[in-house]
Amino acid sequence: MQVGLNSLFKSFWGYSQMTVWVLILSLSGAAYAEDLLPDERRAKSRDLLYGQALYSLHAGEYDKALSLNNAIRKRGQKGYGKVLDIHQATAQLGLGMSTSATKQFERLISDQRISFLPAAARSQSWFYLAKHFYTKGMWPQSLKAIRKVQSINLNPTLKDEYHFLASTLELFNGNSSNADKHILAINKKSKWAAYAVLNLAVSYTEKDVHINKVEAVFEEALRLTQYTQTPSELTDRIHLMAGQFFFATGRGRSAIRHLKSVGLDSAYTPKALLTFGWALTEQWQYHDALQPWYMLKTAHSQLNQDVQETLIAIPYLLEKLNAKVMALGAFDYATEQYDEIYSKLEKSATRLNTGKFIEPLLAQQIPDRWGAFTPIDLSLPDHPDKVYLKDVMSHGYFQGELKSLRDLHVMRYKLNEAIEQLDAFAITANTRKQEFNEVKQEKLITLHSNHLAKLKSRYNNLNKRVKKAFNNPSGHGLASDQEKDQLASFQQLADFIGILANKKSINKDDYAQRLRRIDGVLSWDLSQRYDKRKQQVSKTLALLKASIQTASKQLDAASFAYQVAPNSYQGFNKKISRLKTKYQNQLSKLDLVYSKQREKVGGIVKADIKTRQQRVMEYQLQARLAAARLFDETSNKVRVIANAEVKQ
Amino acid sequence: MKAINKFVGLLLICSALFTSSLSSAANQSGLDAEIEELKSEVIELNRELYDLEEKLLYPATTSFAVFVSMEEVENFNIRSVKLTLDTQDVTSHLYSKEQVDALRRGGIQKIFTSNLKPGMHKLTAEIQGVDRDGRAMKRVVVADFGKARSSKYLELKIKNNPNQSKPDFAIVEWK
Repeated sequence: MQVGLNSLFKSFWGYSQMTVWVLILSLSGAAYAEDLLPDERRAKSRDLLYGQALYSLHAGEYDKALSLNNAIRKRGQKGYGKVLDIHQATAQLGLGMSTSATKQFERLISDQRISFLPAAARSQSWFYLAKHFYTKGMWPQSLKAIRKVQSINLNPTLKDEYHFLASTLELFNGNSSNADKHILAINKKSKWAAYAVLNLAVSYTEKDVHINKVEAVFEEALRLTQYTQTPSELTDRIHLMAGQFFFATGRGRSAIRHLKSVGLDSAYTPKALLTFGWALTEQWQYHDALQPWYMLKTAHSQLNQDVQETLIAIPYLLEKLNAKVMALGAFDYATEQYDEIYSKLEKSATRLNTGKFIEPLLAQQIPDRWGAFTPIDLSLPDHPDKVYLKDVMSHGYFQGELKSLRDLHVMRYKLNEAIEQLDAFAITANTRKQEFNEVKQEKLITLHSNHLAKLKSRYNNLNKRVKKAFNNPSGHGLASDQEKDQLASFQQLADFIGILANKKSINKDDYAQRLRRIDGVLSWDLSQRYDKRKQQVSKTLALLKASIQTASKQLDAASFAYQVAPNSYQGFNKKISRLKTKYQNQLSKLDLVYSKQREKVGGIVKADIKTRQQRVMEYQLQARLAAARLFDETSNKVRVIANAEVKQ
Repeated sequence: MKAINKFVGLLLICSALFTSSLSSAANQSGLDAEIEELKSEVIELNRELYDLEEKLLYPATTSFAVFVSMEEVENFNIRSVKLTLDTQDVTSHLYSKEQVDALRRGGIQKIFTSNLKPGMHKLTAEIQGVDRDGRAMKRVVVADFGKARSSKYLELKIKNNPNQSKPDFAIVEWK
């Protein structure tokens, strides 16, 4: 029994050790697509489209950035060289289009002819590309990229991270000497030092390295955690890893020392408690071993695989303590629990088939956020599968597949939204057509033309009259009838004075001077009036002219509107319906791919559920066998005692 | 004869297993390629939709847009922008860390698009942010501008002022 459980645990350790590498991956900050870009390149020649594309790219709106990038290319990309290609590859990477982006990036960065890419930017790009592959688990590609980084050209702030990444990848590749060089190059006070040393420790655990050396490396990693951002979390992780390693290699005391140091409320607590219990059991400390297992059982969900193992481990320990009746009860309890867990997993599988598991998860995703760098919201509040989901999501490959499904889901939402938008566009175009026809019926242009013609004729008449009235600057043109009579009589009188003077009957000068005085008074009055009237008339004429100009503008605007308005709806219906057909075709294509990807994700979950169920069944079988054996033993004991009593 | 039969049987099983593993790998990469292709097609379609939207909703004769840009501004962290056109609040935007970074790296944000009739108008921009020392800053910039029968683009420009510890804010016509 012990051998069976221990081998089960140790096989799990092997699996767990493999996943350790994967766990470490999440330690490094995620590489964002925009980080792959070379140094900043501002909007060239105040190009709006380029500026907007740059903004979208850096702001993480990769789909918009790609659309704008295409628009720039369509317009003509003169002056941008290969920058647009880099932007395109970056946005593709951001959207999870890894294959095309990788091809593009490798082609671009390895092309030595690209003069705009300085050595520093090139090294930085290789580094981030390697980091991207690393976080995606594509280690050979990552190693290939990291080997192209020239550390001398790399930004000093990235050097430690570069050496960490390089050392990790070299370790994956089994090249310890290269890895050592990189580890030694890391500044000990950098946050990356602890991770690098931890990786070294993990690599030692896989090789035939002396146990003291492994322990020393683990200790060194623990010491360096103080320089990391989350020292307590990393300390817990290192303690768990060291504890698991020492337990698996039969160093119980060292294992206990490390496992005891794992915090009680960390993500590693269940695994640490389970291993702690096993390590104590190996040290024959059965009483002490019960405590961590009871803690584990009571504080965590029964869907947790560590709890499932505890269910059978507790009665095993009770049996060791010779509490056989209690052990029998605990085995029976474990059997019932396994039934329950099995049926819960079965229900999860049913929910998976009936669309009540993945679909609610997808429904709660934010429709604007998609792509490789946008995490999936796994909260699923009040859902029976939330514990299971968090557990299964720790597997990187499942996350990747689920992200693809989420992207398809978001795309479907976007396509449907676009179809709705196109419907709205069609309504807009029709409304504009109706409005135009209504305006046309009002005969606006004719009305404006008539009004303008009237104003123009009024202006012309007035102008003629004014010209006539103001023809003589003396102001005689503005004289009243009486004044005109007076002026005429003055003239007659002047003529008469002339005649009389010729006859020498009067002195002409006396009379002419008096007449000039009278005439002068009237002329002065008239000239004064002329100026005032002229100003008034000029104002009236100016007002009339302004009215004519306004009317002309209105007429022009109406004519322009008549010319332009049809452009705001004509031809759009055709474009809209063509685009709608394209969208609908795309939607049906997407539905097909979606169902394939859904099946793939479902398949992964189903297989995982099946494995878990098999494991639960194995536990249950062991519990049943142990219970039967114990029952026999206890009942034989009772029988022996009874027989002895009878004999007495 | 039995041995030969066994060998042939084994060979068949092996080849069947190999073929199935090959085809499943091909299916896997095929599906990934299909998803990538779909993504690029959807993006292309979205570009067409964007073009159509621009032409239909914002014709060249009436279109009006406001852009935001930052030039070499290290001492100011923009938090929000609120725009008021004439007397109406037309838009407001809260900036994420990535968006601020995008502006710093030379990006230009189209913050507002609309249709505007010809004539005189007034644009007011209220900018809020934090200076280098973490103190809240608020600035209001006003611009009177004329709109003819053609598109009009304005730019809210945040520019470094080497003589002061605070940047300059201005609304200028996009040229």
